[in-house]
Amino acid sequence: MTRIRDLSTFNAVRTTGLGKLRPHHVRIAVGMGTCGTGNGAEAVYSAFADAIFQRGLDATLVSTGCFGFCAEEPLVNLYSPGQPLVILHRVRSEQVNQILDGLLEKNIPEALALCKIEQWDHITAQIDYGAGYPMVPLWNEVPFFQNQKKIVLRNCGIINPDDIEEYIAVGGYQSLYKVLIDRMPELVLEQLKASKLRGRGGAGFSTGMKLEFLFKSNAAQKYLICNADEGDPGAYMNRNEIEGDPHSLLEGMAIGGYITGATKGIIYVRAEYPLAVNRLNKAIAQAREYGLLGQDILGRGFDFDIELVEGAGAFVCGEETALIASLEGRAGRPRPRPPFPAEKGLWGCPTDINNVETWYNLAPIVARGPAWFTETGSTTSAGTKVISLVGKVRNTGLVEMPLGTPLSQYVYDAGGGAADGHSIKAVQTGGPSGGCIPHDLFDTPVDYESLAKLGSIMGSGGMVVMDDDNCMVDVARYFVEFTRSESCGKCTPCRVGLDKALRTLTRITKGEGREEDLVELEELGRMIRDTSLCGLGQSAPNPVLTALRHFRHEFEDHIRAKRCHAGVCLELALSPCENSCPLHMNIPRFLQLYKEGRLADAFESVIMDNPLPASTGRVCQHPCDNRCRRQGIDESVNMREVHRVIADAVLLSDQFEEAVGRVLAKKRKATGKKVAVVGAGPTGLTAAFYLALLGHEVMVFEAHADAGGMLRYALPEYRLPNSVLDREIEIIRRLGVKFTFNTAIGEDITLNDLGSQYNAVFLSIGTWKESQLYLPGNELAGVFVALPFLEAEAKAEPMQLGNHVVVIGGGNAAIDCARTVVRRGSAATVIYRRDRGDMPAIPEEVDAAEKEGVRFRFLATPHRIIGERGGVKAIEVTKTRLGEFDTSGRRRPVATGEVQVVSCTNVILAVGEDVDRDFYRSAGLTITESGMLQVDRYSLESSRENFYAGGDLITGASNVSNAMSYGKDAARNIDARLTGDSHFDGLIPTFQYDQTAPAEPSKSPRHHAHDLPVAIRAKSFEEATTALKPEEAFEEACRCLRCDIRDSAHFAVSHR
Amino acid sequence: MKAPSSQRSSELDQDFVNGVLVRHDGRPGALLAILQEIQQNNPRKYLPRETLSYIAERANIPLSRVYSVVTFYALFNLEPQGRHTVCVCRGTACHTRGSRDLLDNLVMNLGLKSGEEGERDQLGLTTPDGNLTVRTVACFGQCALAPVVEVDHVIFGHMNEQRMQREMKTLEKREQQS
Repeated sequence: MTRIRDLSTFNAVRTTGLGKLRPHHVRIAVGMGTCGTGNGAEAVYSAFADAIFQRGLDATLVSTGCFGFCAEEPLVNLYSPGQPLVILHRVRSEQVNQILDGLLEKNIPEALALCKIEQWDHITAQIDYGAGYPMVPLWNEVPFFQNQKKIVLRNCGIINPDDIEEYIAVGGYQSLYKVLIDRMPELVLEQLKASKLRGRGGAGFSTGMKLEFLFKSNAAQKYLICNADEGDPGAYMNRNEIEGDPHSLLEGMAIGGYITGATKGIIYVRAEYPLAVNRLNKAIAQAREYGLLGQDILGRGFDFDIELVEGAGAFVCGEETALIASLEGRAGRPRPRPPFPAEKGLWGCPTDINNVETWYNLAPIVARGPAWFTETGSTTSAGTKVISLVGKVRNTGLVEMPLGTPLSQYVYDAGGGAADGHSIKAVQTGGPSGGCIPHDLFDTPVDYESLAKLGSIMGSGGMVVMDDDNCMVDVARYFVEFTRSESCGKCTPCRVGLDKALRTLTRITKGEGREEDLVELEELGRMIRDTSLCGLGQSAPNPVLTALRHFRHEFEDHIRAKRCHAGVCLELALSPCENSCPLHMNIPRFLQLYKEGRLADAFESVIMDNPLPASTGRVCQHPCDNRCRRQGIDESVNMREVHRVIADAVLLSDQFEEAVGRVLAKKRKATGKKVAVVGAGPTGLTAAFYLALLGHEVMVFEAHADAGGMLRYALPEYRLPNSVLDREIEIIRRLGVKFTFNTAIGEDITLNDLGSQYNAVFLSIGTWKESQLYLPGNELAGVFVALPFLEAEAKAEPMQLGNHVVVIGGGNAAIDCARTVVRRGSAATVIYRRDRGDMPAIPEEVDAAEKEGVRFRFLATPHRIIGERGGVKAIEVTKTRLGEFDTSGRRRPVATGEVQVVSCTNVILAVGEDVDRDFYRSAGLTITESGMLQVDRYSLESSRENFYAGGDLITGASNVSNAMSYGKDAARNIDARLTGDSHFDGLIPTFQYDQTAPAEPSKSPRHHAHDLPVAIRAKSFEEATTALKPEEAFEEACRCLRCDIRDSAHFAVSHR
Repeated sequence: MKAPSSQRSSELDQDFVNGVLVRHDGRPGALLAILQEIQQNNPRKYLPRETLSYIAERANIPLSRVYSVVTFYALFNLEPQGRHTVCVCRGTACHTRGSRDLLDNLVMNLGLKSGEEGERDQLGLTTPDGNLTVRTVACFGQCALAPVVEVDHVIFGHMNEQRMQREMKTLEKREQQS
């Protein structure tokens, strides 16, 4: 190829390039960025090469960069003349033949097709491919791409990065040519200023102004530097940009060279990016060959060349003065500014340093003008920003959206929200210089100023999503560990301050934090920020300061309660399962005791952690299942079912008396203190159990005629037989707990009465008030509310049902109602406004209901109930579609207006329960903004002294074990208050048992509890799920990996 | 502080070093590139003390400056590296997806002792038999595949404990065969 010296040669190259991009035959382009190859693209590429060769196909095979959806790699572009460009995803080499078979008949394997491109805007040119493949969505109809605007990534994943002619075909080097022909560098500088382009490295300084500084300098030698030392962990957009489209960088820098008078450019690239280095080297060589770099570029008398320099692994070299030091062959330590590099930079010459992405914006601005550029983005921040969206979201990859786009669009719309069973907690922006933004602030626009207001920064564009498994103290500590080890050590605040901050944070994560640590961390952070020499130190405290600002409660949990709810800080937990259990049961211990055949010990271990072991063994939401480390091998250990087996084997057998004896033996001597517990639900029973054991005189007041609360009156017999619950309550009675039934607080007895008669009062009356759902037709006979319906059932005074009952709701109560209806011989349909995966009900319950014949109608919301002769005739529902994500991370259902009529005889409303607030107000207790009773997060004491509260009353409707945990904590705190001492830990038994972890995980797969055959269970209230057999429970116990056994240095601290 | 190793003085390939120095002669700021090339040529991928002294002398750069550069950048090694390298990414995305556990378990299973608290992110540990070096990197830029581990320069995405053990067994086999 000859050098391009005139327009006709340029156009000829362009035509050749277009012919490669849109040949007269099939073109297959495999995404071979680092993300593609990491997902197996090389095998796919060679499979295509082999197949094309074997078939003698007339086809071109090339490699391309990543189209941005890294999680879906390997991506393969298929082009046949006149047809749209189709992008296939997650392609495997064994699918290659099938793809080629289809392609020859113009069939696209739909399952593999991610999207199609009919026309592509390369900004510097438009390429038409053609229309077709109606079944395949357009690229911007795919949620991940929907709101994206590709300016920087305009060529990535489409052109072959190793072929300069393809770059020229899509308008590449045309902007450079234009600038060289126009010969008006000042005009270009004005255009850049008018475009409001700001530095994409994070600082956001006006690029036009920065280049103008250099232009105005009269020095003989000036330098341009591209900072490709992409060091922020969690950010990789520069790597993809270079790998997918290296020439855009060269063109941007060449334009920069012409308009500033610099003749030499240096790209400082991370050595950790070998592919980027390789592609840049090729691109530079090609550009020189075509006369686009070097002497007399494009025959216009302009000299500019680019040198590539590899970094050697030092984060601080992202700082411009440190980068210059590194280029000069020294250790990369920053120096004070001024003088700024624009005056005195590399080798003392004026130097302009810009981030990779900044350079990528130059050619588009020259091509389309500043007015076009400012159309995109917010008023202060024009254009787009490429964000690397990674961490705990479904869709990971590069997302280029206009500046000013709210965070929620990144995390939920493009990212698709959290993985199943998790919820998103925060997003970390700006890497080690940024901070974590909590999910309730996700309406914040992503631009320089808005993120700074929250204490974070945009930085180079890393966005790491955190979910409920991530601990914010640990994240803060992680970043400080990073900046501490990357600190160059030149200035004291950064070197010593970060070390001190790390020590403090480490202490907190180990449960050795002190109350004063938080204030000290804040002071230290501000000091480091204000007095450090360079950007590294000045921004290094940001992760800590933002975490303290937005997640202070997590720090307090670590310090005061010695808890890490995310389960990350292992020193604060016995094991992941123990940490996830609201009651913090010592799960590995009871599994091991059972495994050793020590049933009585296992039972004692279980009941002393959890006074309702048989009930919770049946109905607990089992959060332990989601945290079990065995999931990394096969499936989690079925801990709940083993604990049910242990509880049943003792409670329902002749071993009961012995077990009761062992519990009673733990009872402490009487303290003479009296405690009233209001509400005999799981929370109240738990508090009563422990308070009685601690030697207090306990009276439980209950509005119903019997104890158990929701366990007795809301859970149907087929889930939890009363006979089981009765045994558990018997133990509590025998501990000396007294009950006063049929006594409602506020009606039969007042809080003031209790206050005067008891040393302490624990309120645990739960959420018995139904949430109000206004629905025309509510008043009709045959319309029931879930709790009264279930309660009537429990009292054996069932409500009259017709042949088809519609249940509205998606929680456990809705499923309980529907399954009860089926057992009563009627048909049941559950109508839920969201989709199946969004249901709060336990998935196993939903599956069981479906098998029993319960029908489900998702995405429908009730509109009105139609009556006939005073009864129910039908229900009108409006179909919904899933709209935007709400703060719960689920898509909000939006009514579509399409109405459907479902004929039915009854409607049961199971739309949630609520707290009865009226009497608290009258009793002078403070209510929170969200309508719950206000208590101290740690002591559980309400605004009134000696009045404690817990359970659903303070959290809203929750689940059994969660509610019980408040009873346990309250008992601990009330006892400490009444006796001035801490006796609670003394109740917990100790056992000698095997402390060796299994050398090899046991081979047995997870055992599931046994469901009664549908035909039997759907007709009876007999318990629907029977326990594991003893040998199965034994195998489950053997499956435990014993995460509780760690080297002694890690040993767990005592809680509180 | 890392101290330059004085062993294996026979490893100094003077001809190669001279060649590199000549090629970069006169180019200011070439020290990093010179050191990178020379380390790359060393069979154990490190810079022995003797080599550093030789470079300093021949290039007329104070040894203190050479040493300052070598200790500053994570890429340079003062100790011989293992025949195989496993590099665990400690980037943020990998961290949120459990790379610390992967690293800790790997180090523990190899019977190595990880550094003091706070130094785990700049780790370079070699097994006593010189077979394997475990390193960390601040970020591979492979965040979408987190957690990421590189085994002998091949990237493995979506790593978990089981896959890690499998890869280690493969390495073992390869080592036995060779």
